[in-house]
Amino acid sequence: MRKSENLRTARRGEEIAARHLQTKGYRLIEQNYRTRYAEIDLITRYKGILVFVEVRTKRNEQFGSPEETINRNKINKLIKNAQGYMLKKGYNKKYRIDAVCVLLDKNGEAGRISHYENITL
Amino acid sequence: MLSRVSSASNLGLETIPVEVEVNLAERGLPAFEIVGLPSKAVDESKERVKTAIVNSGIEFPTRRITVNLAPADVPKEGSFYDLPIAVGILSLTRQCRLPKSSLFFGELSLEGTVRHTKGALLLALCAKERGIKNIFVPEPSANEAAIIEGVNVYPVESLNQLLAYLSGEIELLPAEYREANQAQAPVEAEFDIAEILGQEQAKRAMEISAGGGHNLFMIGSPGAGKTMLARALPGILPLLAERESLEVTKVYSASGRIPPQGSMIKIRPFRAPHHTISPVGLIGGGTNPQPGEVSLAHRGVLFLDEFNEFPRSVLEALRQPMEDGHLTISRSRKRASFPSRFMLIASANPCPCGYLYHPGKPCLCSQREIEKYRKRVSGPILDRIDLHVEVPVVDVKEFSHEQEVKKSAELSSQIRMRVVKAREMQRERFIKEGIHTNAEMKNKQIKKYCSLSKEVRQVLLQAMRTFKLSARSYFKMIKVTRTIADLEGSQGITVAHMAEALQYRPKTQNEG
Repeated sequence: MRKSENLRTARRGEEIAARHLQTKGYRLIEQNYRTRYAEIDLITRYKGILVFVEVRTKRNEQFGSPEETINRNKINKLIKNAQGYMLKKGYNKKYRIDAVCVLLDKNGEAGRISHYENITL
Repeated sequence: MLSRVSSASNLGLETIPVEVEVNLAERGLPAFEIVGLPSKAVDESKERVKTAIVNSGIEFPTRRITVNLAPADVPKEGSFYDLPIAVGILSLTRQCRLPKSSLFFGELSLEGTVRHTKGALLLALCAKERGIKNIFVPEPSANEAAIIEGVNVYPVESLNQLLAYLSGEIELLPAEYREANQAQAPVEAEFDIAEILGQEQAKRAMEISAGGGHNLFMIGSPGAGKTMLARALPGILPLLAERESLEVTKVYSASGRIPPQGSMIKIRPFRAPHHTISPVGLIGGGTNPQPGEVSLAHRGVLFLDEFNEFPRSVLEALRQPMEDGHLTISRSRKRASFPSRFMLIASANPCPCGYLYHPGKPCLCSQREIEKYRKRVSGPILDRIDLHVEVPVVDVKEFSHEQEVKKSAELSSQIRMRVVKAREMQRERFIKEGIHTNAEMKNKQIKKYCSLSKEVRQVLLQAMRTFKLSARSYFKMIKVTRTIADLEGSQGITVAHMAEALQYRPKTQNEG
């Protein structure tokens, strides 16, 4: 599988995740927010809380579930990126980090969407 | 969502209740954590529980699972937390109610079945003491737990079966205790005592030793039959009495030595450790205290062949358990008590070459060597042994008419009948004292149950002076005399009984 295909999968997953969150009442602020070092998939606001969302997308679970790809290391990175963002914007109120795991079916449609709130818990 | 499952943890022969709390969190990434000082074996139970649930065809919840083993400050050991953890998780996902007043206990296999787990008997005892009605244990361990009456022991075969029971789909009957068939069979020793040529005095000493639970020290040249005599001993020992049997079974259950489907141990243990044994191997120990050979030989025989070859540190460690009949193993974090009421049968050569008292072969050892060899066993140890006997070399003449000798020699079964009778007398005598044998008598009980007539006392005092016996030996002599009288079925103690007992007195080095 070429690199660009992975990227396409990821972008497709992020779109699905964004739509899913919007129907839940999350207001989209940024999508694919880039800093020099990293990228934050989605930044949303929900009930006055700033919610950073990491989206994980997979085409199949042959090589493990999307949940398994989020380890302690990745979570630490997410916290750092979120803090960098808040520092830049001068935001100092409540925030949270969520994860959305998307499993795509053969047609590129969402097979399963799992939303995990507050993964740094 | 939170569920609580009760279990219990064994430490030595004691059991403390452990509450297993399982929480499925609404938030956070899927994870599986165990807190409450789990050891490696407990922490690994995560993988066994997860795989067993999946392989039972049940979906494993993709939630954040936190397991707490309370009290949280006591270190947790063992593999038996698998079942309570699995039950806790499944009761949350399947919404089934857990029965009240129940303990869960057992190790899971990856397949989803439940394995034989050590200590089921202790769990049942704990449940009885605390008034808990039901216990759920692995099916192979259920018979062992069912020894205890008044507790419903549910045999669990697999997770699916337990789940079906908990959700009311099937009935599960409490296990009924079944005695294993071989438990009633007569004891088979390696040899019948009649096969041993000659050695009448040694055989008689064995009989007395078996009759009253006395310690025995045999000294003799190589090949005289010391080891054979000791190996024949199980054949003349009576089966364990009800109370004794439970004590022994507890020790074996705690150390995981009861086989699957095992029942009460009826046959007296016979332990013969090699002389390279370490002090911990003999006495017991470890960070998580385990019983040693002295406790595994409880109510049975501890046979130490080549007594002088044992390291001094090992032999000296025997003193306290021999005297008290129980011992406490204390380590920095944990301590445990085990019983150690065993019969010590020791055998040794008289000197390094072994032929000191041999009528035909010259001894090649120097006086210094002999002394050095003897000194490996300290006086206090020898003083604690009730019966001392010499095992002389078998006369060549005995071989020539071997057949006749064998016919006239007594069979193990005949001797055992006398031993059983003597033990029966002792059981009746000590029914209120909480002891079983003459060897266990304390000085107070000796005064109460062994009244000596004037003549008998005279003989004993005379012997004390002549042989320079210690105060401890004085009481030991009386105990042995009591057993000799019991073997004869006699209530009183006569001079003849005392005279025989004095033959087995501890012999000092000068005496030989």
